[in-house]
Amino acid sequence: MKLYFSGLLFACLLAAPVWAATGTMIKDDEMRTNASANSAAVGRVAKGASVDVLTRKGGWTQIRHAGATGWVRILSVRSSAESGGNVLGGIVQMGAERRDPSRVVAVAGLRGLNEEELRGARFNANELARLDQFSSSRVDAEQFARGAGLRSRDVAYINAARREQESRPSGNSSGIGFGDGNL
Amino acid sequence: MKSRYLWLVAGMLSISQVQANELESLFKGLLKKKLAPPAQEQPVNPAQPAAAAEKPADQLLKALMGGNVSLEEEVRIGQQIAGNLLGAAPLVRDDGLQRYVNRVGRWVSLQTERPDLAWHFGVIESDDLNAFAAPGGYIFLTKGLYRKLNNEAELAGVLGHEIGHVLRKHHLKLLQKSQGIAALGGILGRKLKNENEVLQNLIGNGAEVVARGLDKDAEYEADRIGVVLSARAGYDAYALPAVLAEIGHVAKTDKSVSLLFKTHPHPEERLGQLSEAVGEKLDALPEGQSGAGRFYRLR
Repeated sequence: MKLYFSGLLFACLLAAPVWAATGTMIKDDEMRTNASANSAAVGRVAKGASVDVLTRKGGWTQIRHAGATGWVRILSVRSSAESGGNVLGGIVQMGAERRDPSRVVAVAGLRGLNEEELRGARFNANELARLDQFSSSRVDAEQFARGAGLRSRDVAYINAARREQESRPSGNSSGIGFGDGNL
Repeated sequence: MKSRYLWLVAGMLSISQVQANELESLFKGLLKKKLAPPAQEQPVNPAQPAAAAEKPADQLLKALMGGNVSLEEEVRIGQQIAGNLLGAAPLVRDDGLQRYVNRVGRWVSLQTERPDLAWHFGVIESDDLNAFAAPGGYIFLTKGLYRKLNNEAELAGVLGHEIGHVLRKHHLKLLQKSQGIAALGGILGRKLKNENEVLQNLIGNGAEVVARGLDKDAEYEADRIGVVLSARAGYDAYALPAVLAEIGHVAKTDKSVSLLFKTHPHPEERLGQLSEAVGEKLDALPEGQSGAGRFYRLR
């Protein structure tokens, strides 16, 4: 079973470069020679255009459109439903997950969470106490992050593109300084 | 299609506003009746409805009416909602998982303007795809959603979105706007004795409040915060959009997403909004970690 599984995975890997996922442009964007805003533009792809999604590098994704290949911002493309793998999330993992036998078991005893159940829910003090037990302190979380090589970065909050006045977060439009020097 | 949806949302908003106004006047009416003794005409001071015996409850009511809920009160409200939600769906019996999710979530929370809140994170028993936030820093995601995640960055992104709701007090504002005022009318009528009763009245039935949709802009805002917090924490900033894209591929008729799709704009719309808002703003951001190797796999 496991062997068969690995075989499938391997086949997916081999197939990936040839069998590209398809995507749709969700906004106009400049196609560039490299995964960088500073690289030369090779053409513009319009919102709604259908593209082949080839690979990803940081915030950029390589696409093929109308015979040309180039890089656009990853948020400019949405992978199509029938692409068979989510390039944004990684084709390999998704392929593996789809064939995870534990998922089949889970389906057998499906447990939802609908409005009715939520409305009828009764306070559970024991579970709340358990929840408390697992909480992580600042020191613990910082230690975890350090062990994982995670470092805080300064990134400002992002406002809505339109109607900025209405939905601007109150008082916290700049994130500079947050989390700085935690490590 | 899109405009129909918008009208629907607009309609819902206006209804709740009307209800809120009605309830507010109802409440004020009740307050007057209660405070003004029939014999003498005294000026009514709505800021001080307190009878000495009902102090904590009255304080909470006052705070909610005035829109300035203290940290302590916010946490109490969150606790009540969290306890109710856990009554509907208990924590997954996997201590390792719960501890892991708390560490990732806590690290993300440290990148915010509320680093010292007592943040709690939990994975709950449900095959639905959903995540919930309650005031005071209570965050939950379902086992179904956890299973969909590919790496730690995606987990951080999902938690970051929920953290965003807590930071901007979206649910607290929702309670204050509609249900809160409805509750106040009921409270004065029935003379609730203790704070717990007041709280439960405020929250409504069970954990129903988490199934109540926020307005679209609140969801878009939480998406933007999720992306930014992931980036601040050193993760791949594009992991949350990846989760959204993945959820967007689930058929709209699938039961596992019925509540999520009912209370949130469709992932396609969310991705579109996020894309427009982010634009070139993250171009200079160095690549973050996916944390795929560390990701805790469900047993």
